[in-house]
Amino acid sequence: MRLRGLLWLNAISSVLPAALLGSATVEGRVELPKSRSAPVQAKRYEIVTKGGVLSTQPPLAVVYLDGAFPRPASLPTKEVTQKDLTFIPALLPIEAGTKVEFPNLDDTYHNIFSYSPAKRFDLGRYRPEERPIPSVIFDKPGLVTLRCDIHEHMRGLILVLNTPYFVMTDTAGRFRLDKLPPGHYTLKAWIDSRTTKEKAVDVKNGQTLHVDFP
Amino acid sequence: MKLPAFSLCVFACTACAFDIDDVFDRLDNALTVSLFQDNLRVRLSGTLDLEFYNFEQPAPGLIDSRTDNLFDPRLTLFLDAQLGSQIYFFAQSRVDRGFDPTDHGADIRLDEYALRITPWQDGRFSLQIGKFATVVGNWVPRHLSWDNPFINAPLVYENVTAIQDKYAPYSPLYFVYGPYYYAKYSFNPVIWGPSYASGISVAGKLGRFDYAVEMKNTSLSSRPESWNVTENGFENPTFSGRLGLRPNEAWNFGVSASEGSYFRREAEPTLPPGRDIDDYREFVLGQDASFAWHHLQVWAEFYEARFEVPRVGNADTFAYYIEAKYKFTPQFFGALRWNQQLFGTVSDGYGHNVHWSEDLGRIDIAVTYRFTPHAQLKLQYDFQHETTAPGDNNHLFAAQFTVRF
Repeated sequence: MRLRGLLWLNAISSVLPAALLGSATVEGRVELPKSRSAPVQAKRYEIVTKGGVLSTQPPLAVVYLDGAFPRPASLPTKEVTQKDLTFIPALLPIEAGTKVEFPNLDDTYHNIFSYSPAKRFDLGRYRPEERPIPSVIFDKPGLVTLRCDIHEHMRGLILVLNTPYFVMTDTAGRFRLDKLPPGHYTLKAWIDSRTTKEKAVDVKNGQTLHVDFP
Repeated sequence: MKLPAFSLCVFACTACAFDIDDVFDRLDNALTVSLFQDNLRVRLSGTLDLEFYNFEQPAPGLIDSRTDNLFDPRLTLFLDAQLGSQIYFFAQSRVDRGFDPTDHGADIRLDEYALRITPWQDGRFSLQIGKFATVVGNWVPRHLSWDNPFINAPLVYENVTAIQDKYAPYSPLYFVYGPYYYAKYSFNPVIWGPSYASGISVAGKLGRFDYAVEMKNTSLSSRPESWNVTENGFENPTFSGRLGLRPNEAWNFGVSASEGSYFRREAEPTLPPGRDIDDYREFVLGQDASFAWHHLQVWAEFYEARFEVPRVGNADTFAYYIEAKYKFTPQFFGALRWNQQLFGTVSDGYGHNVHWSEDLGRIDIAVTYRFTPHAQLKLQYDFQHETTAPGDNNHLFAAQFTVRF
């Protein structure tokens, strides 16, 4: 009986206009740290190497609404590629339970691994054309640092969140979170592994709230 | 009671390590410097190795110690610099108790430095000059402590033979029965470690093939002191090369060759009258193969070597090893290696043909646990057996704790 009720609720919610479910917006700006230097690739014993320069990845922040939200039945699969010996994107925020694929677009092996408590895994060495594409389901919230066992300089981050309401800032720190459900929440800005700023917000239907994280 | 205590210890180390890990990541950022709008980037990094060895006398391989237990700490610093996309410079400096494990005092060295110019983006050609590891074979890319699944090198890179580079043998009998176990550091292996000799190399990749050719100041068997250009000039250069084929990412095959004189200058007075050190050469022919797929990696190298020995003739040897590494979990992996070296015969001067060194086989087993991406513990056991002599078997236990920054 209870299951049937939930199914009805799900069916109704899928046909309701988004505006009725959540139409509030929060926008603002996060003060980002200074750009880091691009990494240096150690090529000492790779006597045959390409002469590419690794790109600088500008710092970005993730802004999210913290709270207890129902977990959707299914989540879209996300992707972190390895291209030109870097992770793209370098920072990926996802909701807990999301599957992330790691396609290798370089013409060499990669070996992605993480020792982070939120997700410990090692995908081993795999070819660019390997199918199925190696993937991992991130089911526990927290920060996951991606590394490559072959290319020491490679670093990537996956921020696993317990909320569906998150967005990445642009390189100037600006953000805009749309279609938020009304309520009293904590708005958080994740800046790096040691810095997460937060502010209490009252989100009201049809309203645009401006919040800055200086 | 001991097992829970050990488990608690490992857990505590791991928990602490995750905090320290963040510190190391920040240190890495701090040690990377970028100048001229990212056109010049310089990174300082390194490893701290704490090694412990327990073995029987005579000490195996290139370990030079009168005692059966040896503690060998080592600090290695690396400098990597990239200028634009075409110029790369690296250097390696070490503070330890000698290039190979010894019971001597502290030693500080600049082991490697090289400048590499890569004119084309596709890597078809690069030129490198300096003091750097040999292009021969496939062991060099994993010889550093963090990448090597073992604490020591394969047998061919560390087993001392009857060849010596400071004196020519005064008779075939002395050559064969010379006391090389007891004055081991006077004698040479076929290839001395990664052979950081000085010189110039060209290398590149053409489709599925890659090539590398080098001219160095000394031969593959030469000792670390000979690698410095201040010690040894280019009067008697050694030429080496490797041609590689990579049919796909999983497989890699290569053939290598090297040729050069192996005596040091101080050996000249001991040579037969009218002969020069350039008349006695080391020839090496090598084949290597490697395979990697998911959590398995396999490497093999096969070497045929010939030394031209004064008053003796040609001394031939064949050495090979097969090595496999498998990751059982993201942080725990094991490795197994079988090594063998077989020696040809030479005349002892009395009408008999005898092996010029003892044939031997060695099996190496190692396990590694990575606490974090910056700290690992390696344990190794070796069993070495001489097959053509009544020489004692040798057991080696070794442990190595490495912190990488």
